[in-house]
Amino acid sequence: MLRILLINDTVKKVGKLKGALLEAGFEVIDESGLTIDLPARVQSAKPDVILIDSDSPGRDVMEQVCLFSRDLPHPIALFTDEQDPAIMRQAIQSGVSAYIIEGVESSRLKAILDVAMARFESDQQLRAELHAREQQLNERKRVEKAKGLLMKMKNCDESEAHTLMRRQAMSRQQKLIQVAEQIIAMHEMLGE
Amino acid sequence: MKQTDNPRDDVLAWVNGSDAPEKHILNLGFMPLTDSASLIVAATQGFSQPYGLTLNLQRQQSWSALRDRLLNGELDAAQGLYGLVYGIQLGLGSAQTPMAVLMGLNQNGQSINLSQPMLETGVDSSQALVERALLGNTKLCLAQTFPTGTHAMWLYYWLAANGIHPLRDVDTRVVPPSLMVEHLRARRIDGFCAGEPWGAHAIEDGMGYTLATSQSVWPNHPEKVLCATQRFVEECPNAARALIMSILDASRFIDESDDNRRSTAQLISGADYVNAPLASLQPRMLGDYVDGRGNEWRDEHRLRFHGDGEVNMPYLSDGLWFMTQFRRWGLLREEPDYLAVAKQVQQLDLYQQAASALGIDLPASPLRSSTLMDGQVWDGSDPAAYARSFDLHAMTDAAVQQAN
Repeated sequence: MLRILLINDTVKKVGKLKGALLEAGFEVIDESGLTIDLPARVQSAKPDVILIDSDSPGRDVMEQVCLFSRDLPHPIALFTDEQDPAIMRQAIQSGVSAYIIEGVESSRLKAILDVAMARFESDQQLRAELHAREQQLNERKRVEKAKGLLMKMKNCDESEAHTLMRRQAMSRQQKLIQVAEQIIAMHEMLGE
Repeated sequence: MKQTDNPRDDVLAWVNGSDAPEKHILNLGFMPLTDSASLIVAATQGFSQPYGLTLNLQRQQSWSALRDRLLNGELDAAQGLYGLVYGIQLGLGSAQTPMAVLMGLNQNGQSINLSQPMLETGVDSSQALVERALLGNTKLCLAQTFPTGTHAMWLYYWLAANGIHPLRDVDTRVVPPSLMVEHLRARRIDGFCAGEPWGAHAIEDGMGYTLATSQSVWPNHPEKVLCATQRFVEECPNAARALIMSILDASRFIDESDDNRRSTAQLISGADYVNAPLASLQPRMLGDYVDGRGNEWRDEHRLRFHGDGEVNMPYLSDGLWFMTQFRRWGLLREEPDYLAVAKQVQQLDLYQQAASALGIDLPASPLRSSTLMDGQVWDGSDPAAYARSFDLHAMTDAAVQQAN
């Protein structure tokens, strides 16, 4: 059975993976301490695989762990160095980086990454949807604001102002929101 | 702020209510063609945000790639060729998958073009082409964009109406639209049928001339559609309706004035979109045609995106027509249940909900009547008989006997 050290030091809550991995039959050691002590913990926990958020600042510490482990009988390597582009892609998509002890077949990682991927895919989708919703509302507000300013400046009605902004954006191959921001910025510079 | 009586304001309630889109981000596939204008305008000019949607445009390099991404879910919806959608629905050339036509995107604006060497050797008219095709020493090689696509059907129809059998008297090849001019230049093809701006671009580059427009084959013919899989429509009916409304708004905006058309041409000529010179793209979008052999005209049936809704209504008769041509040219070996298939694919209910919310007129009947270049009238009433009514065809004998 593979022994997994789970490093949990970012908002992504890699720790949530623990349950899923345990259920899938892996032995999991949860790690949420200071990353500066990581080398010592890796040494004492002796994991086969270390999972860490790709964006974790602890990644640099892991690089150090790898470097110093070169002379050990079973060095630790960032598994994405392995010559398996498919697994590498999957790791990037799943949002975790795995370090493995040399000698563990990278193909055995697939099951781990499948679990990680399923876990994070739904999280990411939810975040993206929320973000899109916020952005849509914000863009509408900014466009409305610019439209209002333009109506005053040009003394025109709403639909005329909207069309003017769109024509301006389109003839410059820009998005409507960009022109709206330009109008607002210009208005702020020139004052009331 | 002053509010005009814009119908859009009335429908905002459902954006956050139970009619809210199931997904707020949609990946939308398109091909580099003038016909994609309403999708590009909708996605970039704030037409979808009021309906709670962000549209991510995804440009595709070929119709096959677009189809594959639509089927595997990478794309939620896409610009589609009428024929391509029905091809998938009927399992011609790909796994049979239930498809949905959400709305029509445009009518007219495709063209049949021949190479400069053809012109130089005296093939400067339909009559000259017929003589060259039927009496010449070598078979002409003509390209279209997809085996079941609209361009294949326009080319076949035009050739057959002129007495040339498209499957026997000439060779046909499939080439993605944006590569047509390159193949013309390399003399790998003698002509092609595709969407603009690629016909105009061939002329602009001195590589060819326009022999016929698609609107001369069928004035106000159906062309590109907004399509999705049936599965998407079932899982995300509100997002599908919101998408139709966004694109309807953008289509209406483009057709509102020639100034709007000009700005649209400038926008879509950009490198991220159609990526073609404005000089190739703009004139034909405005209906100003130059054919490269001395003729100029303002086209009565120029490319249009809205036409007060006439363009966007997913008429059953439009979908049926492509099936009749599949039958005619032997792509369908058996008589399909025409009306049942068209009713399944054309999303009349969704479209009607979207159009009425925006105050867009709905036609009284889902069938419309047209007269094509050879005088044949198509009104959708008897597709099976219509499919069998052509002198030139490629129906297999067995199937014809069976049908009789």
